[in-house]
Amino acid sequence: MSGFRAATARNPREAADWSTGRIIRTNLRAIMGRAYPRIIGLTREPSWVFFEILLPFLAVSAFVFVYRALGAAEEFVGFVVLGGAMTAFWLNVVWMMAAQFYWEKDQGNLELYFTAPMHLMSILAGMAIGGLVLTSSRALAVIVIGSVLYGVSYQIEQPLLLAAVFLLTMVPLYGMGMLFASLFLLWGREAFHLAQLLQEPIYFLGGVNFPIRHLGVVSGLVVATLPLAVGLDAMRQLVFPGAASQGVLPVGTEMTILAVMGVVFLIGARLALGWLETLARREGRLTLRWQ
Amino acid sequence: MTDRGRPVPGITVADAWRSFRTAVRLGWAIEANWSDPFLFAVYTLAKPLAAAGILVVMFQIITGGQGTEFLQFLIVGAALWNIVFGVMGGLVQSILEDRERYRMMKYVVVTPSSLFPFLLGRSLARIGTSLVAVVLTLGVGVVFLGVRLDPSLLYLAAATILGFLAVMSMGVFMAGWCLQLRQEAWSYPEAIAGALYLVSGAIFPVDILPTFVQPVAYAFPTTWWLEASRRGLLGHGSPGDIGALSDGTVMLLLLVSTAIVLPLSLAAFAWFMKRARQAGLLDMTTGS
Repeated sequence: MSGFRAATARNPREAADWSTGRIIRTNLRAIMGRAYPRIIGLTREPSWVFFEILLPFLAVSAFVFVYRALGAAEEFVGFVVLGGAMTAFWLNVVWMMAAQFYWEKDQGNLELYFTAPMHLMSILAGMAIGGLVLTSSRALAVIVIGSVLYGVSYQIEQPLLLAAVFLLTMVPLYGMGMLFASLFLLWGREAFHLAQLLQEPIYFLGGVNFPIRHLGVVSGLVVATLPLAVGLDAMRQLVFPGAASQGVLPVGTEMTILAVMGVVFLIGARLALGWLETLARREGRLTLRWQ
Repeated sequence: MTDRGRPVPGITVADAWRSFRTAVRLGWAIEANWSDPFLFAVYTLAKPLAAAGILVVMFQIITGGQGTEFLQFLIVGAALWNIVFGVMGGLVQSILEDRERYRMMKYVVVTPSSLFPFLLGRSLARIGTSLVAVVLTLGVGVVFLGVRLDPSLLYLAAATILGFLAVMSMGVFMAGWCLQLRQEAWSYPEAIAGALYLVSGAIFPVDILPTFVQPVAYAFPTTWWLEASRRGLLGHGSPGDIGALSDGTVMLLLLVSTAIVLPLSLAAFAWFMKRARQAGLLDMTTGS
């Protein structure tokens, strides 16, 4: 605040005339401000840690036991553990990105976002960064616990490439969450059902528990639309370089698809946000709860 | 303190029935009518089918379609487990929604009617949806995946009644418990149902579990309900040790475990309600 006070305006028009630097600084503060509760929540909400590790871990364990009952190769156990870790990110995107604006409206925060002097994309970016940090710890815990308990071994020959694929997956994944945040707000009361709908069907189509190429023709469509599926397919190829983890496409091609998806989803989110704001202002629905 | 837990003089079964009916209508309105019908239908159909689809693809990948007995085991388990999620989710979400979101719980509690019939009625829509999911998953299994039903109706009816009582009892217990929680109560039904899914032999035989977990699996009525239902539907038991037990033994174990869980859950719910009233939890909002 002290930096702003030094440039005290002489009249309201001058006060509203912000420099580019000030706009950027304010938006960066908004990003940090919205990311802060999610990052600090790592230490202040132990119950979150419990549930966000436990729920994916329970699902992982169930599918591991199914593979064991079927007498599958141990490689498949690794697929499930990796899929379970990525599920944590997907759940975060669905519940804490896509459905978030709807909850914020219910709690009365949304109007504050609209009236504050920053872009809503900054709020979404803050949510995404905070969610990414928060969920990374959960995903890591699922991988460590799952790997130790179920004896998964990894053969990572290109760790940097793996890290790049992971980061490239996160951009369209959270970009999709940003896009859905606007759409969920528009669809109002359907938000809960939509969030539910984006779980098991996406786990199925995304090949969370099995290599996606086994979906046959559908896998091509999925690879073209669902970042979780493409990212998982590429990561499995890099982590378990056996015949069972043969991907739908080579890793390089899948990285290109992820990069394109990232751009498309972020632009889509920006456009949807503008459309939402116009529509919500015109129809006066911004402060209407439970609708 | 006045004992408001006692029935109000003059309140009859007919009053409780009216309360139940009203709650059923309200629950359905919230669950379905306020949603777009198309989306609601998609949601109702897609979620259970996708859950079963994951298991079917896993089965196909590993076995190449051989060993239909295990596929039948998977399909029936995945289908029936929708009831557990529906009951747990329905009862807990209803009580939490009415307290936290719609803030109606306190008004229901101050009426002469008991909360219990209201709670049952309020959750019925979600339970009904889960029954649709059961029928749908089994139907897809029979029509497309070669699941062969050989029902023993009397045995199935007994298993269904007892199993439903057991699962409802566990849901009622959860609803009372979640009323006591300050944080993350919404996550409990999923967590508990997920844990039960793991230990009840829903999608893999109990003998696959580590040895120290197996006694836990055998203690829950859900394990015996699933096993009895499989025998009632398919005409044979599950693969593994549990499948070697006689039909009578399985039914007896279901009966005994339900007879233990039912009164314990009802007593616990009554205690939870009393405690909630004493601690001022009936109109608490946690913001979670």
